[in-house]
Amino acid sequence: MSSPLKPENRPHAWIPLGILFGLLSTASIALFAPIGVSTTYPRAVGELIRLVPGYSSPYLTQIGGLFRAETMLVAGLLIGGFLAHRLSRKPSTAYETPHPQERTPAWRYLNAFLGGFLLLFGARLAGGCTSGHVISGISQLSLSGLIFGAGVFATGITTAKLLARRN
Amino acid sequence: MDLLYGLLVGTVMGVLIQRVQASSPMMIVRNLRLENLSIIKFMALTIAVSATLTYTLSAWLPMHFAIKPTHLGVLLGGLIFGVGFALAGYCPGTCVVGAGEGRKDALVTILGGLVGALVFTLAFPALDRLFIQPLSMGSVTLADLAHAPALWVALALSALLLAVVALLPTRPGHRRPSES
Repeated sequence: MSSPLKPENRPHAWIPLGILFGLLSTASIALFAPIGVSTTYPRAVGELIRLVPGYSSPYLTQIGGLFRAETMLVAGLLIGGFLAHRLSRKPSTAYETPHPQERTPAWRYLNAFLGGFLLLFGARLAGGCTSGHVISGISQLSLSGLIFGAGVFATGITTAKLLARRN
Repeated sequence: MDLLYGLLVGTVMGVLIQRVQASSPMMIVRNLRLENLSIIKFMALTIAVSATLTYTLSAWLPMHFAIKPTHLGVLLGGLIFGVGFALAGYCPGTCVVGAGEGRKDALVTILGGLVGALVFTLAFPALDRLFIQPLSMGSVTLADLAHAPALWVALALSALLLAVVALLPTRPGHRRPSES
């Protein structure tokens, strides 16, 4: 079945979408702040840690609480994903196993969990993630964005290629 | 007002990420295996448009620039992040979009991310001393390094990115005469 609405039949969809994302990133910098996501994770964790009596964290003090525009942006990502999925013609959500090793769901969830752990540990050590460092950072000509992006693709490509090898 | 802007920008961003299939772990892993470069080209195009417009508009509008500092942790963190990016097939934003789509593994990545953020928060004093304070250069831009006007550097970087986007095939190894 060949439908122009199927993504594989729209191989150039990234062009208009990339231009729109560039406009959105510019609008974000013009309106309130560059797009960023990853600090929301420790802020969310911080709301729980703050409940421990007597504990104070210099990092949580530095990044502040959840009541801010960036938290709303992350909430928007959830809404946007929901809306775009609902408005598409795909009947159900795909369960994907990107690595050949993931023959059982347990492997997929283990990789998803470990990946998430490394993503946020790395992003917080670096001070940003794909949106804050790469998209917003390089758009603002930041040296840190270029260094972060080089690091991400160096190990990202290596890891993906290693995992693609079938044993 | 900023809260509303944040919600709007996030919602549109979520729709764009879903539509370009960046919330699909399979698509991310294909990009990292260099089998399909659509997401990498999407990001490069985004940066070219954003850099050009941001620095052009900055001549007339007050822009909310926020340049992140450069330090040793940026490189180390990027190297760690890349392993997680390939393992999960998500980044900290696309897993939230994926969760909105109803992907269960995206929720697991968010959970792993919260644990990673917790461990980082607890270890922060030591990590800060070892990796963030050393070799800290502050907020440096390419324009500072080149001693050139930011708009020129933005235009040069954008031209370079657009050239790379135009020259790279979207699907290397996918040989069909009707496709580029």
